[in-house]
Amino acid sequence: MGKYILEQSGSYNWMAIFALFTFFIIFIVAIFMILRKNDPLMKHMQELPLEDDETQIQ
Amino acid sequence: MTNLETFSYDNKIVRNFAIASVVFGIIGMLVGITAAFELVFPSLNLGIPEITYGRIRPLHTNAVIFAFVGNGIFTGVYYSLQRLLKTRMFSDLLSNIHFWGWQLIILAAAITLPLGITSSHEYAELEWPIDIAIALVWVVFGINMFGTILKRRENHLYVAIWFYIATWITVTVLHIFNNIQMPVHLFKSVYVFSGVQDALVQWWYGHNAVAFFLTTPYLGLMYYFMPKAANRPVYSYKLSIIHFWALIFIYIWAGPHHLLYTSLPDWAQSLGTVFSIMLIAPSWGGMLNGLLTLRGVWDKVRTDPILKFFVVAVTAYGMATLEGPLLSIKSLNAITHYTDWTVGHVHIGALGWNGMLTFGMLYWLIPRIYGTKLYSVKLANTHFWIGTLGILFYAIPLYWAGWTQSLMWKQFTPDGFLQYGNFLETVTQILPMYMIRAIGGTIYFVGVIVMVYNLMKTAFSGKLIANQEAQSAPREVHVAHKNEYWHKWIERKPIQMLIVSAVLILIGGIVEIIPMMMIDKNVPKIASIQPYTPLEIEGRDIYIREGCVGCHSQMVRPFRSETERYGEYSKSGEYIYDRPFLWGSKRTGPDLHRVGGKYPDSWHYNHMYDPTSMAPGSIMPMYPWLFENDLDTKYTAAKIKVHQSLGAPYPDGYADKAVADLQTQAKKVVANLAKDNIKQEGIENKEIVALIAYLQRLGTDIKVDNQNK
Ligand code: HEC
Repeated sequence: MGKYILEQSGSYNWMAIFALFTFFIIFIVAIFMILRKNDPLMKHMQELPLEDDETQIQ
Repeated sequence: MTNLETFSYDNKIVRNFAIASVVFGIIGMLVGITAAFELVFPSLNLGIPEITYGRIRPLHTNAVIFAFVGNGIFTGVYYSLQRLLKTRMFSDLLSNIHFWGWQLIILAAAITLPLGITSSHEYAELEWPIDIAIALVWVVFGINMFGTILKRRENHLYVAIWFYIATWITVTVLHIFNNIQMPVHLFKSVYVFSGVQDALVQWWYGHNAVAFFLTTPYLGLMYYFMPKAANRPVYSYKLSIIHFWALIFIYIWAGPHHLLYTSLPDWAQSLGTVFSIMLIAPSWGGMLNGLLTLRGVWDKVRTDPILKFFVVAVTAYGMATLEGPLLSIKSLNAITHYTDWTVGHVHIGALGWNGMLTFGMLYWLIPRIYGTKLYSVKLANTHFWIGTLGILFYAIPLYWAGWTQSLMWKQFTPDGFLQYGNFLETVTQILPMYMIRAIGGTIYFVGVIVMVYNLMKTAFSGKLIANQEAQSAPREVHVAHKNEYWHKWIERKPIQMLIVSAVLILIGGIVEIIPMMMIDKNVPKIASIQPYTPLEIEGRDIYIREGCVGCHSQMVRPFRSETERYGEYSKSGEYIYDRPFLWGSKRTGPDLHRVGGKYPDSWHYNHMYDPTSMAPGSIMPMYPWLFENDLDTKYTAAKIKVHQSLGAPYPDGYADKAVADLQTQAKKVVANLAKDNIKQEGIENKEIVALIAYLQRLGTDIKVDNQNK
């Protein structure tokens, strides 16, 4: 079974491989850009769902 | 404190959607259980056309997807959107139009689908007037949501809201493109695209209905309700950003994985596979983000049923999103496609991910909007265990059944013959599994009833806080900083978010679909392929009405095990007049693409009246009403005209002769039946004749071509 799966993967054409690489690269770049940032906004955003109870007047 | 504004949250609309979700959930599940038992006991339909398997399967899928999950989405969105944005919904009137409009659509579906009024595109079966109603109500929802976003008091849009926005825009696009039809009359329309192109559009839609109706909105709910229930922020907000963008971009490409080894061109199949595999990354990122939110509070999971529901839901999400990509690998797909494996797979999603998340959300939210405590935590825990057990009893037998049956289909004897040449043998083998699955579904359902009791008790012990008073400062006007990076800019601007999401999903759609429509070479022409005769068109419409496509495929894949069993593999050029395509997605019965000419007309006559007469032990339903109903030819001419206008090469003015031609062909079928001593009063006018004519035509044109060579 494993061998069969590998053999199949040889037949993917250039378009799919091109797409895969393009987006893999965009993906990596995006992750890198986002993880590098470290700022208070992220903390604020993260807390948003927890803060909203405070708006309610019981 | 600076000037606080006082306003109120609309809880009544949340409550209404919650009730609708539960009520339709119960109905949808009951229909599902009925369908499951009908597979084991076909006579359970009591000979009533409206509740035969083929007609209630779409009722079940539509009820669960659009009524149960759909109302579940709106419950969660209306609750969280107001609070995340610190404002009331934009317009109470629009909220109510949205609510009642959606319920009316569901009602229309519940009436039309059992009547056999269907366009047969899976999960888009509703006919064109209802499609238009859906579009209108969806737009109302959109206006209400964006209105709320625009009048918000919180500058920043939490990630859950991005998921809602992406959901809205993508569903809009999908719904429009998958329903481009020409009406014949109020309850019947013809798709503009045909055959392979229709199939591609449908599965681009079908897959993304899973992605953008069953997944992205629920991820939004996960990102809101998980932190609330755990009382701690999401594990990594950055990860959620990556999750979002990667997911919506990649998802839209994966549709063709539903069409592997079919007549769809290879390049499109390859794209489907590659993007499906890439999907593992964002999906698992999201799952881990959800589960890791509970880091440090795992001891709470042991006691809190809500967290338990969320853990199972998110785990099911992870399982299903790992399984999906694996099933998109061609060699694995060759085994699992058309089998119950797929049915097991979607139910991990539906029962596990959507179901359990909805239940957790309801247990969390109902006590809060009723200003009280949950009636019984113990009962909720009981529900959790019953539900989990139900999922296991549902899914495991189906995986087993799917795998077993597929291997039987492909098994050759040492002399090179099919070991199980009789398809039915592979069905009776797995009937015990079907039985356990039906029981599994029932167990799950019992859990839901326990929940209903618990929630009703909860509601009665409190009082609905229809308008929850709230206070917040008005929104600060934002001044842009230098060095603000793109994402911050988008994340504050809902409209930009909408546009960027739309562009991202359109890229995938356009790259895959436009070439299929434009490039003729993608569907090689076959000279001998002719449009259907009027009688065959009517027969085909009966096939559509009865939902035969729910059990039968019309697509012989290029494997020896299939060409040996069914005949020559299917070519894309054979389907150019098929509006809609009827390839199917599940083989509960054998493929029918080459059934034409396989048996005499009399065989079909007897088989359709009582399948067990020709195939003892068959689980195919009986269709006695086809022998009583007169064939309706009122719209035959109109149908011919519509097909003609879409490119079917009937001679000019043929529509006027269509009914006469239909009668002539019907007489031929009757003569064939008479040869085998089948006589029935007035049979030439009965529906069965049209159906037989259609079945006998299936897949035969290409044989003419072969003879001429
Ligand atoms: C619940 C699933 C189910 C539904 C719905 C269903 N079938 Fe079947 N069908 C089967 C099964 C199982 C078999 C194999 C056993 C048999 O021949 O009865 C079969 C066999 C057949 C065969 C014989 C194929 C062959 O090559 O021997 C034909 C023709 C057929 N079905 C036509 C139809 C039509 C037309 C409809 C709709 C009006 C329909 N079926 C609806 C399950 C179903």
